[in-house]
Amino acid sequence: MTNLSLWVLLLPLLGFILLGILGRSLARPIILGIAWGACGLAFACAALSFLSMLATTPDAARTVDQQVYTWVASGTFQLKFGLLYDQLSATLLMIITGVGLLIHIYSASYMEDDASFWRFFAYLNFFIFSMVLLVLADNFLFLLVGWGLVGLASFLLIGFWYQRKKALAAAQKALVINIIGDFGLMIAIFLIFVNFGSLNYQDVLSKVGTAPTGAVTAICLLLFVACAAKSAQLPLYMWLPDAMEGPTPVSALIHAATMVTAGVYLVARTNALFEAAPIALNTVAAIGGATALFAATIALFQLDIKRVLAYSTISQLGYMFLGEGAHNYGAGIFHLTTHAYFKALLFLGAGAVIHALGGEQDMRKMGGLRGKMPITFATFLIAALAISGIFPFAGFWSKDELLGSMLALAVATGNVWYYILWGVGLLTAGLTAFYMFRLVFGIFFGTYRGGTASAQQEDEEDETGGHHAGNVRYNDVHEVSPLMWAPLAVLAVLSLIGGFVGSLALFGAAKWHPLSGFLAPVFASVHASSVDPSLAIAWTSTGLSLGLGILGIFAAYSLYRRGFAYQENKSPLYQLVLNKYYVDEALTTLLINPVLAFARVASRFIEGDALDGGARGFALLFRGTSDGLRRLQTGYVRNYALAILLGAVLIVVYFAVRG
Amino acid sequence: MPLSAYLIVSAILFTTGVLGVLIRRSPLVIFMSIELMLNAVNLSFVAFSHFLNSADGQMFVFLVLTVAAAEVVVGLAIIVSIFRTRRNIDVDEMNVLRG
Amino acid sequence: MDIATIIAFYVLAVATIASGLGVIVFKSAVHSALSLILTLIFLALFYLQLGAVFIAIVQILIYAGAIMVLFLFVVTMLAPDGDDVDGVRDPIGWQRVVSGVLGLSLVGALSYLLFTGTVVNTATRASSANGLQAVVDKQGNIEAFGQALFHGFAFPFEVTSLLIVVAILGAMVFGRRA
Repeated sequence: MTNLSLWVLLLPLLGFILLGILGRSLARPIILGIAWGACGLAFACAALSFLSMLATTPDAARTVDQQVYTWVASGTFQLKFGLLYDQLSATLLMIITGVGLLIHIYSASYMEDDASFWRFFAYLNFFIFSMVLLVLADNFLFLLVGWGLVGLASFLLIGFWYQRKKALAAAQKALVINIIGDFGLMIAIFLIFVNFGSLNYQDVLSKVGTAPTGAVTAICLLLFVACAAKSAQLPLYMWLPDAMEGPTPVSALIHAATMVTAGVYLVARTNALFEAAPIALNTVAAIGGATALFAATIALFQLDIKRVLAYSTISQLGYMFLGEGAHNYGAGIFHLTTHAYFKALLFLGAGAVIHALGGEQDMRKMGGLRGKMPITFATFLIAALAISGIFPFAGFWSKDELLGSMLALAVATGNVWYYILWGVGLLTAGLTAFYMFRLVFGIFFGTYRGGTASAQQEDEEDETGGHHAGNVRYNDVHEVSPLMWAPLAVLAVLSLIGGFVGSLALFGAAKWHPLSGFLAPVFASVHASSVDPSLAIAWTSTGLSLGLGILGIFAAYSLYRRGFAYQENKSPLYQLVLNKYYVDEALTTLLINPVLAFARVASRFIEGDALDGGARGFALLFRGTSDGLRRLQTGYVRNYALAILLGAVLIVVYFAVRG
Repeated sequence: MPLSAYLIVSAILFTTGVLGVLIRRSPLVIFMSIELMLNAVNLSFVAFSHFLNSADGQMFVFLVLTVAAAEVVVGLAIIVSIFRTRRNIDVDEMNVLRG
Repeated sequence: MDIATIIAFYVLAVATIASGLGVIVFKSAVHSALSLILTLIFLALFYLQLGAVFIAIVQILIYAGAIMVLFLFVVTMLAPDGDDVDGVRDPIGWQRVVSGVLGLSLVGALSYLLFTGTVVNTATRASSANGLQAVVDKQGNIEAFGQALFHGFAFPFEVTSLLIVVAILGAMVFGRRA
């Protein structure tokens, strides 16, 4: 098997180093050459390795743990930097480098007017490197390194337009919440080392049975804290909507397709641990389900198109965790894959609209763009159908595999909570279809509502922190350049056919399940408890979710088919949801303000008198002592020489006395 | 004569040199005292060489000699340049290190 | 032991120590330098007595000759009227007493150690077949020295040459008018 995974890791790093050092002085075509080259070659290496893996049999030969170098060797403890290239990392590498490459291409046009063009691409390459490191690491420590580095890349890219105050605040928020997750991961790693004596995945996962269940549960819950922070699950989801302050390609790449799915990856990677800790796995399912519904309700009434997509991402990530919680890790990864296609496509489509409208993100000032931007409209529509789970688009297959196995688990165990989670999933599917088509109708149907500058709009712009929300007139709106719509087209094709790698058992092709069959060896620990839905259960679940999806679309159609008309709605429930359940406000009141107040008090009293007083006392003590000792320094060289003689005499006398 | 006789002469000469460094204030005389110390050590080297029947001691004397020559050259150059800038060569005047 | 050697030793020892004391006692730097030359010559005689012929000659040529000429040259250039700085009251006069006491204790302790310490067994050493004496008897004094220098000490010798180059450069740097 050809394993070029080391190159997949090193090429983006090389690109980052080149751009980071030389970028400022390079011409734009050269910058693009380096960035595209690094990412494109990485994709080529990933694809070559992937194809070569497909040609390799048996399954055991497909897992390669390539040791690069030994980082720490201390007695029997050895810490090696190795790359674990197996079915799971191969799948994810394809997504990361593939979607990454498309977004590199798209960004060239999207960012063409930006002064910090080179910096953007340096960061992008850095992100690709970090994400590949996260996925390829063969032990928990280097996973943590990658985990931290993607957080850093996310921070840098959210705050890319650092002149905007809101972007800075959002970057800071993302970093702080991610640090909570990193902390959880760190503690989990300590516990893993204490319990298993190794950090290598294969060592740890093969020794799961040797550790007490309590310890494994603690480890899994801590790992899930990290996953929840990285993948924006309840209660650590708040950073992702704010992260939309970053450039749209970044939102598509990091905050939709790749980085936020790291949590899903980690749960899948450590599935053996989670299988041994049912409590932790049920927590994963419960939080996934709750997040899916919670975020979907917020997405219903948002006015900023990127924020709708952000909440939709949170909701879809919840689905993935729901699937993993139902022991169907393959379905989680499958949904990750299809979600990467259609969510990246949605973001890039939204980016195209924003770009064409000169930076406008408010849905109230859009509408009727169908005729002006036909390609964007068509691809956006495909993505919306895919995420709504309409047959035969990609989302249909992955979402129904998830829900089917959830229902099968509920039927098999008879546990009412599993039924509730399944119901939540169904309901979310309907809500998803509704808010996505609200977006489609709002942007592309009806009449154009922008282009007239009014005093009220000016105020809004000030609030958004100096967005250059251009009042582009309808006739000035044009379809975006081919450089931008080509990636849209590729992703649309993938959203259309990407689902066929899932199972076709529903339609009688019982043996057609390429992806889950491919990934099965990674999830070997699961098969005992895996619940394959029977045909009846699968049809029930599928039928219901498809029906709810169509219902959602129909509801959106009946409300918004003539375009989106915003009306002030005073009902408290609507206000509650519109304001995202006031979570940010509650956090500010309950957590941030008390901490700040405590810090102010502490800085005055504890720091001021208690601590500084002690420090000042020590300072005085030392000052007094050194004032005395200072007198020894007479400045006469002869005087210093006397000290040497004294020392010499003392040594000789010592020997004379000792005899 | 026994080895210790030579060594005692060497010790007395060395101490004389040390006292010169400690008492005198002209850098030139201090330098001469240092030469005195070096030579006292040389004497003990040669004596050891003779009594241990080995040429190694003489080798060291040879090296000390060249080092002393180099040291004198640089040292005197320093003294001359100090004299040039300060018109005065009292070592006690160079006491900026005083605490 | 040869009575003449003993007498020569005592005479030389007294003369060396006396002229050494002269270096630090004379008020004038010129006198100190002359006294130092005398000490160096006496030491050369010591070396002769100990059989180090080459070292003795080098001592006179380099030390008493070259180095002391340099000294005298600087002394006459900088302080022709004697060491007048010593005329000013010593700011740390107490140091004279302390150094005197310490110096005496150093000499005392060293002498005590030398008289009571282990005695080198010179008899066995002298008879060794490839010892210094044997080589000197066979090949002569200078040849024995040269052989030892270029066999065992070739590397330090080369390093010394580097040191001299550095010293020359240093002297040039300091000697330049700023």
